[in-house]
Amino acid sequence: MKRRKFVRNSTLFSMGGLLIPGVFMSSCKEDTLFPSVDFQGKVLIIGAGVAGLYAGYLLKENGINFQILEASSNHGGRVGKLSTFADFPIDLGAQWLHGNNNILGDLIKKSKTKTSLDDSALQYWFNGELVTKLPQDINIFEGDDLPDVSFQDYATQKGFTEEYKYVVETIAGDQGASASRLSVLNNNLEEENWSSGEEDYKFEETFFDLIDSQIASKIKDEMLLDTVVDKIDYSQSVIVVTDKKGNRYEVDKVIITVPITILKDGDINFVPVLPSNKINAFSKIGMDAGMKVFLKFDSKFYDQNISGGRVSAAYADDSVGKLGADHVLLAFVMGDQAEVLTGLGNDEAITSALLEELDTMYEGQATATFISSHVENWTTNPFVRGAYSYIPVGIGDARKVAAESIEDKIYFAGEAMNVNGHHQTVHGAAETGYREVINILNSVKK
Amino acid sequence: MKIFLMTTVFFLTFLQSNAQEIRFDLGYNYLSAPEWDNAIQTYNFSRPFLENNQPLLMHGLSTSGSYLFRSSSRMSHGVGLSYSYFRSAVKNKNLDVSLNLSLIKMSYILHLKTSKKEPKCYFDLVVSSVAAGLFRSVEPYSPDDSEARAFGIGGEVAVKAGYIILLNGQTKLSPFISLGYVPYFFSPDAEASLNQTKGLTSRRGTNMLTAQIGLAMSTSKESTR
Repeated sequence: MKRRKFVRNSTLFSMGGLLIPGVFMSSCKEDTLFPSVDFQGKVLIIGAGVAGLYAGYLLKENGINFQILEASSNHGGRVGKLSTFADFPIDLGAQWLHGNNNILGDLIKKSKTKTSLDDSALQYWFNGELVTKLPQDINIFEGDDLPDVSFQDYATQKGFTEEYKYVVETIAGDQGASASRLSVLNNNLEEENWSSGEEDYKFEETFFDLIDSQIASKIKDEMLLDTVVDKIDYSQSVIVVTDKKGNRYEVDKVIITVPITILKDGDINFVPVLPSNKINAFSKIGMDAGMKVFLKFDSKFYDQNISGGRVSAAYADDSVGKLGADHVLLAFVMGDQAEVLTGLGNDEAITSALLEELDTMYEGQATATFISSHVENWTTNPFVRGAYSYIPVGIGDARKVAAESIEDKIYFAGEAMNVNGHHQTVHGAAETGYREVINILNSVKK
Repeated sequence: MKIFLMTTVFFLTFLQSNAQEIRFDLGYNYLSAPEWDNAIQTYNFSRPFLENNQPLLMHGLSTSGSYLFRSSSRMSHGVGLSYSYFRSAVKNKNLDVSLNLSLIKMSYILHLKTSKKEPKCYFDLVVSSVAAGLFRSVEPYSPDDSEARAFGIGGEVAVKAGYIILLNGQTKLSPFISLGYVPYFFSPDAEASLNQTKGLTSRRGTNMLTAQIGLAMSTSKESTR
């Protein structure tokens, strides 16, 4: 009897024991980083691109006082929208969500934003004709033991002749760079951290609509547009930021989210001057010229994707994934080619150069069916001056150095400051936005 | 199928004939993996657009089987295989997310009874190799979705203590507790499943603390009476 009682009690104890520790131990760990936020200071965000907007959104959600200063007249940064060109809205800047295992993939699902997989077919313009397959497989830029040389040099080393120059230019153009500057080694190293997924998605509306409706709309009251920052004095405990109109902003923390070109060119005066390793790091991060030219035709004579053009290495059917009947072809021009087209001086000349190339490819059909064009030249935008950051030869750990905060006062965000393989992307910019808010809250927790 | 069944019966008979003890466990498993916790905490903090937080991956169930060799002393040794399953699931409007972690351990066991005859308790020192698969799944699911999954490996040292209750001469029931530690579990892609990033919140691996409480049923060839 004694044993039977013991067996019964032990069994009950054990069954109860299966439940109790979970309840007990759950109370030991929180499922959020900052269960309570008690920061009474003010944060100033410079730049209303996606990084700045996302940082502001998180600050607002945590009840932290902040303001965003934006140099241009619009928020969104390099995410923009044009509704008047075609019967569907076009993306002036960032257009594809690269993989959806990322923060914006979650936001898209949550908001029921309509996207579609972009699996457009690819044609190469090679040796004066359009082909579906290249004679030699040029998938050579991934693997082990890669040298720190440019894509173009590496292709030459691997025996790819001049005929492949513009195909290589297309591959580099995807990275927003000229093939003569993009590093094979460092690009590959950063790619190892890519965790977002391999698919590309397009928006039925635009990328801007997602950012505007889901993030920017929540913090519009805290945005000050047309405000160009001139000076940041972080020599005292209170940081004093001055804009070009002479307005002063006294804050405790500053998050700088401007494009890397603005930092490289020294548009913002820092007092004291930034450490030399920081300035060196900025100078090592690449950002080439870039433009998107939208060409509208009255019929579709072109393929979904064309790679290897001498004027524009990449063309893409912009109507793919959109609800509309208009025929719009996008010329995605990066690096040296964007510099050459910018040098032509005006939109008409740029359009003519592209039409001439398309006429060669499609036997004069481009000019014959052309209706209108829109040139979005990010290189001549005074607050952007290029496409997006890339990894040049010899970059080393510059991106990590550039992204480090200074004295727990000045923080850096934006796609160029993403050190986790998601640079050049919109979701990568958003990641740096929340990363720096976490860094700020960690700094005041000390 | 017939061959499989016959092979299984033969194998079990063989094991039984050579074993001092064959044991099956079932228990609740608690997991603490600081780097993974940090990734989930970051996920929750960075996504205020989700109504509910993703719970930490900390509660699971495990089952295991072990095989102890004959021994003439209080101490014996053996091998074991265990499977643990942890799940963290959250429902949000338009976005349900679940994290599913499977851990498989192959173990070497040093088994010590408090006495050769009529032992009341036993203690195990268990050294295991651990392999894991971590999967993130999302509802509504689309076949076009990017996959998020990670695999990892590590080694664990665990201690286990059990109280022996004889049900009959050869069958025993043992409530037990165990505590395990994985100094470094290498899983470079885990953060991609937990926070959809890599290297932003955590290093390429984590340490792990596991605690388990459960019941073991064992059968030994020799009667302990």
